[in-house]
Amino acid sequence: MSRLVLLFNKQVIKEIPFVQDSITIGRKAENTVAIDNLAVSGYHARIDKTGNDYILTDLQSTNGTFVNDKRISSHRLKHGDNVIVGKHVLLFIARDKEGEDVSAKMDLDQTMMLETAKQRELLAKEQNKTGPPPRPRKVGILSFLDGSRMEDVVLTKKLTRLGKSPNSEIRLSGLFMGATAATISKRPAGYAITFTGGMVKLRVNGEVMKGSTPLKDFDTIELGSHKFQFYQKRTNPA
Amino acid sequence: MLIKASGITDVGLKREGNEDYFSTDDALGLYVVADGMGGHLAGEIASKMAVELIYKSFSHWMESEAELQDVFGMPDQTLTKKGNYILSSIRLANRVIHEMALMHDEYHGMGTTIAVLAVFQGQVIAANVGDSRIYMLRNGHLERLSKDHTIVSEQVEMGIMEPKDAETSPLKHVLTKNLGSAEFVTAEVFEFEPADGDRFLLCSDGLTDLVNDEELLQMIQAEENPEVLCRNCVDEALKRGGHDNTTVVSVFLSGINPPKYGPMKRLGIFFADTITGVQKTCRKLKP
Repeated sequence: MSRLVLLFNKQVIKEIPFVQDSITIGRKAENTVAIDNLAVSGYHARIDKTGNDYILTDLQSTNGTFVNDKRISSHRLKHGDNVIVGKHVLLFIARDKEGEDVSAKMDLDQTMMLETAKQRELLAKEQNKTGPPPRPRKVGILSFLDGSRMEDVVLTKKLTRLGKSPNSEIRLSGLFMGATAATISKRPAGYAITFTGGMVKLRVNGEVMKGSTPLKDFDTIELGSHKFQFYQKRTNPA
Repeated sequence: MLIKASGITDVGLKREGNEDYFSTDDALGLYVVADGMGGHLAGEIASKMAVELIYKSFSHWMESEAELQDVFGMPDQTLTKKGNYILSSIRLANRVIHEMALMHDEYHGMGTTIAVLAVFQGQVIAANVGDSRIYMLRNGHLERLSKDHTIVSEQVEMGIMEPKDAETSPLKHVLTKNLGSAEFVTAEVFEFEPADGDRFLLCSDGLTDLVNDEELLQMIQAEENPEVLCRNCVDEALKRGGHDNTTVVSVFLSGINPPKYGPMKRLGIFFADTITGVQKTCRKLKP
């Protein structure tokens, strides 16, 4: 059976199986799919089953009905179409030729693209109002424990170089300091520090590191006589 | 540094055409995998275009050592120059595919994922858009260097879905980002230092739908030859149904040995260590 999946803010609100010949979408309660949101007209759109096809018609709604990113007045629905009504999205899942529900084997099926520019905009707006609070992002901080510098360094770059060379993000002095003595990289799994060269040793929590090691909160890092502490701070989601 | 790399793509057992595309270039150190989508031949065209455009623009900028104001779009200050080349080449490919999709009805809705790995002396860059992945095996651990742009993984990141539910979710194939569907796209880009023995694997979801991270770790660890590893991965996907096109590119690094220390250098290291020790003691005594 074909069906519609109602999404709001990337969350599935409900699934509507297509059991009747036509369904209506709108703000009023008597609609098959009632969406209580001011961006939705009382009777916003309808979908009619004609043979094997499903025809979506906009009922001259105030804010329009969009399929993918195009405003439509009438449209033949294809599997995977995103019907955008106000700030809600209805994902159309078609029954395939053998009469099987495509969604039942959707993980075996084609990759689809959900978001359109318009929808992303809507989602961004909505996120600020009612969406679940985004998980705070974390940013790594190096604070100097050796007193050579007062201010902390925020590790915003994907690759931060530590060393004597002028193109290092964190310049360190010292006769034996390598041009780039170590690098700190920011990866999906977190931060990691790598020893890259020079005569001074890299120590993490007192242990000499010759390769690369992941950084945990409050690890101490020593490069020659320089000493830092690493920790992560929550940043306010913009 | 020695790079051994190999790539394979397979149509699978269920699909008629292959919408995946890849390229490997050891001299440039650039490896790209793309998984196209869109009816008729549009998916195939999108993935091929993306791979070729990224390759062309990146190699051109590398060769001419282009200034950042001359590449496509605003440079990202958190990335190095080469990192910005990669980011811009992906932006450029996106724009071209997007405009083609708008201009020609038969290409409407076409798009592609992309996974890019660039390996140089002292630097590795990994970038992706969509759900094609990049893995790194280092010190016996498998690390993902890519972020999936799917509704499901965004929900996991927001903390409203458990990772274990994500694997079985019917929405796991719904992308939130790809190349082609929007005018602008921002790729995930990560940069870091390579290490001896690093092994990288780039793949389309034809593999990761059927083989989990734990199994991948075993497979990558077990094989010394990148070509055989690619074959093994594709064979495994076929054995499990091969429902989708499967593409695997593997890149093995070796010969990144720490420099051999001569007697003078050793003496230097000894002095450096001693001085560090003395400085530490002094600091302790001072207050």
